[in-house]
Amino acid sequence: MAVAFVVTVAACGSTTQSATPKTYTGTLTFASFNPFTGPDASFGPEMQAGCIVAAHLINKAGGVLGHQVQCITVDTRGDPADAVPAAQKMIATTSNLVGMNGPSSDEAQATVPIINRAHIPMFADTGQAAFDKNSNDYFWRLTPPDDAAGIAMAIYAYRKGYRRGAAVFGSDLSSQSNVPTLVSTFKKLGGQIVLNQSLALDQSSYRSEVQAAVAANPDVIFTEADPQTDAAYLSQLQQLHGLIPVIGTEPTIQPAWIKAVGGAIGKANLAQIYAAAQPYAPSQGPAWKVFNTELLASASEIPQPDQWAQDPYTQTDYDAIVTMALAMIMANTPDPSFFNQQIANVVADSPGATEVHSYQEGKDALAAGKKIHYVGAGGPIVLDKYHNSSGAFQVAGYATDGSNPQLDIVSAADIAKYA
Amino acid sequence: MSQLVPAIGFGLITASILAIAAVGFTLQFSVTNILNLAYGDVMTASAFAAYIANHAGVDIWLSLLMAALFGAVFSMLLNRFVYFQFVRRGTRLFGMIIVTIAMSLIIQNVLLAVFRPTFFSYEVSASASYTFAGMILTGSQLAIMGIAVVAMVSVHLLSTRTRLGKAMRATATNPGLARSCGVATDRVIDVAWLLSGALCGIAGVVLVLNTATFSEVTGANFLVPIIAAAVLGGIGQPYGAMLGAVTIGLASEVAASVINPSYKDVVAFAILIVVLLVRPQGILSEVASGKEVAA
Repeated sequence: MAVAFVVTVAACGSTTQSATPKTYTGTLTFASFNPFTGPDASFGPEMQAGCIVAAHLINKAGGVLGHQVQCITVDTRGDPADAVPAAQKMIATTSNLVGMNGPSSDEAQATVPIINRAHIPMFADTGQAAFDKNSNDYFWRLTPPDDAAGIAMAIYAYRKGYRRGAAVFGSDLSSQSNVPTLVSTFKKLGGQIVLNQSLALDQSSYRSEVQAAVAANPDVIFTEADPQTDAAYLSQLQQLHGLIPVIGTEPTIQPAWIKAVGGAIGKANLAQIYAAAQPYAPSQGPAWKVFNTELLASASEIPQPDQWAQDPYTQTDYDAIVTMALAMIMANTPDPSFFNQQIANVVADSPGATEVHSYQEGKDALAAGKKIHYVGAGGPIVLDKYHNSSGAFQVAGYATDGSNPQLDIVSAADIAKYA
Repeated sequence: MSQLVPAIGFGLITASILAIAAVGFTLQFSVTNILNLAYGDVMTASAFAAYIANHAGVDIWLSLLMAALFGAVFSMLLNRFVYFQFVRRGTRLFGMIIVTIAMSLIIQNVLLAVFRPTFFSYEVSASASYTFAGMILTGSQLAIMGIAVVAMVSVHLLSTRTRLGKAMRATATNPGLARSCGVATDRVIDVAWLLSGALCGIAGVVLVLNTATFSEVTGANFLVPIIAAAVLGGIGQPYGAMLGAVTIGLASEVAASVINPSYKDVVAFAILIVVLLVRPQGILSEVASGKEVAA
């Protein structure tokens, strides 16, 4: 009786892998699980663009194991209170859900365990350092964590000669996760954080906060906040004092942030003061060319597709879908409980492996009985034992023609020194 | 201390925007007893109306007047074609709150569909800064404060010196009795929505002038401080809303200058709670819950 009880409890507490894969009929579904509304609404379209491009190319290549694939969007609103029911609904109601991109930092802590329990491979764009030593089998991350972004910002600022920094970040979890390493690295380098402000989002006025910043006399402002918050803050700084050089994070290089802040302070002014650290994606090479060609041909589904051409997150979201599709072929099933174990093998640079740069190349190589090493649009993927792949950072500026010229590269080795 | 005086100046700007919005909000509530939670979205829609005019080459101050006109007409039509239909069917105070929340979501999503999820700014020429007693204010901010003063004085004069004002106060106090005494309450209610909408439209534009950029949710994000100012002063009391706006505006800016800025809302709402504990009906008001809904 006692044994039966223990077995029953154990069965209730975990889901176990069945001995044989599930059978799938019809189209396979990948979800973009991210904010599409709310303060971080720019994250979702960036992610969905990568998924759509990958799905087009997979379908053009004949699909995966005879299945066509599709992308759906699941709006988390950037809030765990909305994201948890959204995750539960997605898992319960989406037919043939085999993988997903997301979640973001806003909802990762709350939703990763739910998705992991459902055995859905997730390629998260969360930057939270809590996942640096991730223990969830179905969690994967191809972009560096936020604490690495903080280090990159500090190194670039110091190289530029800035010694007095003001950390002006939104009070949301996603923005605040950059702050500890930014502050500690800038201090280690010899700089001084003269002010550390946490901004309540979307206020009508930040003049008192700006006044405090001006009084601290920084020579650079480090920032990440939603577009309206930073636009109001910087326009009020412009009114009260004049602009100060700004170094932002990857969300500040999003079109929505650039449009809001550029509209508030003037594009020419923004071009003079702005730089942002974002994960380095070379935006060149054979894999990127395949991605970019299909991206630019997808205007009917992706508004202004060229805005994502150099976006490292869109590129890695694309790579995530391609990697999962190739893992399905290697496992000979779209069942996530089986192909999840093959994901690391798709990107591993193992001896004798054939380097491939697209789904089509990978599919052909696997059909020919070869081992593959997928090098993606975002560059090589080197997964550690925690399912994380990070790398260098690119510091980009802003030009009034809308482009983001590269200003500097902060290498992975430099970041590792301060991690 | 050196940052306290400028913070008071900044608080007066915030208070000016809040006052315009809160007086419009409470003026309509006092006459109709409908807690219109779509008010912030009408602000946003008016801000978009001004944006269209402004980007067609119209000066921003003229665009502001057009936004006031848009807000007035939109609010009156909103009442005529939506809220009134529910009131006629006997929907009470809390039912009407749900209806206004629904309208809020509908307006937001229509704006989102029409204008897409991005941010917008007005074409405004840079204005000079002026320093008074340690307070730094730009020409635009002085204009916002001036607009607020003119709006408040106008509401005061309308309310105390005109037959319409008396009719509005009578309708606000007891619509049934007002009707019995020959007051055309339907017309008075239309005028209340028009006036409230005009102030709402003005508030939408001056809010955007202050934040420099806006999206489909900007007005809705500002609704909580508006309601707080209205409730603090005594819901349904225009003078109370003015007082509430000054209190909330000053408290939030002073809090941002002397403690962690992320707590500025917390301080403002802590004051609201303390005041309501001491005086539940608000600073200047009677209790409105016993009144009937009129639209």
